[in-house]
Amino acid sequence: MEDLKNIKILAEKEINSARNSEEIKQIFQKYLGKNGEVTRVLRSLKNLDENKKRSIGKLANQIKQELEQKIEIRKKEIGAEIGKNKTNKKIDVSFPGHKLPTGHLHPITKVKREVEDIFERLGFSVVEGPEVESEWYNFDALNIPANHPARDMWDTFWLRQNESKVQNSKSKANTKSQRLLLRTHTSPVQIRYMEKNNPPLRIIAPGRAFRYEATDASHEINFYHVEGLMVDKEISAANLKAIMEKFFEMFFKKSVKIRIRPSFFPFTEPSFEIDIRCLVCGGKGCSVCSQGGWLEIAGAGMVHPQVFKSAGLNPKEWQGFAFGMGLDRLTMMKYKIKDIRLLFKGDLRFLEQF
Amino acid sequence: MLFSYNWLQSFFKGKLPEPKKLAELLTLHSFEVEEVKKQDKDWVFDINVTPNRGTDCFSHFGIAREISAFTKLKIKNEKLKIKEDGKTRINDFIDVKVDKGADCPRYTGRVLIRIKVGSSPKYIQERLRSCGVEPINNIVDAANYVMLEIGQPLHAFDLNKISNKKIFVRRAKTGEQINALDDKTYKLNENNLVIADSEKMLAIAGIKGGKDTAIDKNTKDIFIESANFEPSLIRISSQELGLKTDASLRFEHWMDPNMTESAADRLAQLIQEVAGGEIVKNRIDFYPKKILPRKLKLDLEKAESLLGVNLGKKEVINILNSLGLKTKADLTVEIPTWRPDLVQNEDLTEEIGRIYGYKNIESSFPKLALAPAKRNDNISWGDKIKDFLRQAGFTEEYNYSFISRKLGDMAEGGLVELENPFSEEFYYLRPNLLFNLWGNTQYNIKNLNTEQAIKIFELGKVFKKYKGEVIEKKSLSAIMTGKDSFYALKGVIDSLFEKLGISDYYFDEYQATPESTEFNLWDREAMAEIKINGKELGFLGELKLPVLDKNGRDCKIFAFDIDMEALVTECNEEYEYMPISKFPAAIRDIALLVPQDVRVGDILNIINTSENKYIRDVDLFDFYEGPQLPEDRKSLAFHIIFQADDKTLNKQEIDLAMKKITDALEENDDWEVRKSA
Repeated sequence: MEDLKNIKILAEKEINSARNSEEIKQIFQKYLGKNGEVTRVLRSLKNLDENKKRSIGKLANQIKQELEQKIEIRKKEIGAEIGKNKTNKKIDVSFPGHKLPTGHLHPITKVKREVEDIFERLGFSVVEGPEVESEWYNFDALNIPANHPARDMWDTFWLRQNESKVQNSKSKANTKSQRLLLRTHTSPVQIRYMEKNNPPLRIIAPGRAFRYEATDASHEINFYHVEGLMVDKEISAANLKAIMEKFFEMFFKKSVKIRIRPSFFPFTEPSFEIDIRCLVCGGKGCSVCSQGGWLEIAGAGMVHPQVFKSAGLNPKEWQGFAFGMGLDRLTMMKYKIKDIRLLFKGDLRFLEQF
Repeated sequence: MLFSYNWLQSFFKGKLPEPKKLAELLTLHSFEVEEVKKQDKDWVFDINVTPNRGTDCFSHFGIAREISAFTKLKIKNEKLKIKEDGKTRINDFIDVKVDKGADCPRYTGRVLIRIKVGSSPKYIQERLRSCGVEPINNIVDAANYVMLEIGQPLHAFDLNKISNKKIFVRRAKTGEQINALDDKTYKLNENNLVIADSEKMLAIAGIKGGKDTAIDKNTKDIFIESANFEPSLIRISSQELGLKTDASLRFEHWMDPNMTESAADRLAQLIQEVAGGEIVKNRIDFYPKKILPRKLKLDLEKAESLLGVNLGKKEVINILNSLGLKTKADLTVEIPTWRPDLVQNEDLTEEIGRIYGYKNIESSFPKLALAPAKRNDNISWGDKIKDFLRQAGFTEEYNYSFISRKLGDMAEGGLVELENPFSEEFYYLRPNLLFNLWGNTQYNIKNLNTEQAIKIFELGKVFKKYKGEVIEKKSLSAIMTGKDSFYALKGVIDSLFEKLGISDYYFDEYQATPESTEFNLWDREAMAEIKINGKELGFLGELKLPVLDKNGRDCKIFAFDIDMEALVTECNEEYEYMPISKFPAAIRDIALLVPQDVRVGDILNIINTSENKYIRDVDLFDFYEGPQLPEDRKSLAFHIIFQADDKTLNKQEIDLAMKKITDALEENDDWEVRKSA
């Protein structure tokens, strides 16, 4: 028995120090070969009595197995090959693989996720709001009074129904009846969020919005918007510029020059239009940018004091910026889709490309 | 709105920048110029004047003032000279009575006599045409010209067609009518303000003149109206009558009442220039409540903080002055009545920012506390679901939030209607996602090989009316074609729910409830309700909506429809691992021959309750019905897996368990447990 254990220790040492296949081969012969040391012990078993036969036999077999395993492992380690070369049938690597039949996500989903991801990395939380809105949240609270020409900027779908009451929790003046409509932008989410959360705050609100207008290659009756809002003590237009530049750089994966110009929205003051340098021609002028070199991409501005008041916040205490842009427009730019209507047509030949 | 470059140039001694350059400057500092077009010797600018600036910038003078602010070019200072006829008095020709000062804050008028109607001089005709206005005659053209020049809408009446020398400004009575200059007759009501004499309607105030007092080639004496009307009154009238005019557009945007006087004088002067005649001495002027300029103190620090730039007092004063705003050393700004948009500090901030130039503001990141974005469970679970379905071979659809009238009328009500539906095709708000997914199926099946199954899904809002309230819900639906798709879809739900950490759900027979609004969309014989704790989560089954494949053959479609909001509350990320038993599992098979109407669930129930101590799992692995079996029979085979946590089960224990199971199954008379070899 002691002999066997010594054989094992010696053999293991030799296996571990083997450097090439020749040495491994020799070790195999020495211990496990026809006249190998372990083999000889096994062969000698028949001369022993039953008791010894069993105990030594068991140990010898166990050692044989262990050594075989260790030799195999060592062989692999040094990339050795012993004995016969197996011949395998050769694989035809040009044969088509079996593809898994997966489906496709809608391109707007892809872009929406990307936008959400970028803003989340910049610390903006993603929030949602209802698509059926009250006149209060969609217009009045955003400083767009009834019978004001500014309302013409949003052609609205109105719901047919008996007037329902919409109560504003913080402002008693607005308990009057409110008509329901399909939200014309995701800006109402700003108000809803500010009613429930105190600044500082950073949110984006992506979602579906609606306009009652004739459809063409760039207009649809429903479409996707993303609204952004950042409020704190000292948020400025210069900050808006930096955030927008960063966003476009991350979204288009290259440095994008932006331009801010004056505009008008009742819910921001000052109000801006944000253009980006045409991604196709780089500003020289082409058909995509109507020769102007710039693409109109977002509306923005500094939150109007009246909007803070609507949401129950003190405009003397807080300031911030808001922006809004078309997710479908970003999608169309990213994938060079020429007609917005394709996004809602449901044609699998289109959708299966994404 | 269209503007003439030459006309704008006429306000300046100095040379304006080239048209294209000027357009760019206007875009960067004032309003977007949508188009610059050469027209004869002129350039036409299409300027998108923002609604807050209608008061002053729906006019060439207003735009010139903007140009002056950012180019620093001086506007010519020309005093208006008017020569009245000393022998006449306006009161001898006309009297005006305004009913309500609230409807008509100011009414100014002048009379000219012995004018000669003809055509306008060339420069007037050219400038009108540049602005898209067709010349008519020298009187009407002059009124339009002055409106385009300074913004005030004006109207000229043939004085001799006004009865009894008296004009009334009043609300119309319901039923009154007017024949307007556009050759149409408008029925009026009490929302409409009118200009009338004692016998007839002369004009719809601020919107359109009437035919009865129109200028014609024989007109000799005229009354010119330069009035101010209440904006929302004009807006409501204009919308009700479906009549939008250059005048109504301007009045809607609030006109400065202090302008009427100089506008009347300017028009009188211009008419005299182009049509001769005498200007009768004095004006009609009803102006009970004079509007005065306001004072607004600029908070420079706040303005600079909003813009994110340090400008200093001197620069800011220069900018405000360049816009025609007077300032005091303490930064009190006098707001002229033609700038009603400037009411608070933020408004002045915008003026400063845009004239200074937004491009001069350096971008800088905000300094604020590091706060991580909050995770939105609705969105992140929605994303997980979408990813799963995509991997399961489904393609995502985005459909319209509307359904057709025809489809909606098939449904049993509870639909949300629109006041102004877009078309018959987009008529109601969608009550479910299935109608439109069905439409997608019909559309796409024509383009596919017949053996290809359509697998589509959508996650979106649906709308229903319940007890008068509009209920908006997020819904998750999928459609799959093919005759065996029920169990495929059921499997999709099983795998999906497993991914979402939902385990205590089950499929139940569909039970119609009295308040159920689900109409005949589903085949009641081939559907299941998906439930959790007795709560309905959604449906799975065959749709009764017809779909024909490319060869015109009827195609079965299956679907599921899940209440996404209820689903999200059940989703669970928490997960605890189960220790793996150290003892081996034993698998035994059992095969059964049972009547057709026996449900797998019933069999599983019996197996599980008969000997549940060591049963780890039961799996249906074979199902057969067909010619080799007696009619009305089906064969089912299950793997039963036995395992204990604390010992290796021996043969006797397993045999005993199997016997109990067999006995329990065979308590049903016509069930037969088939003994396998």
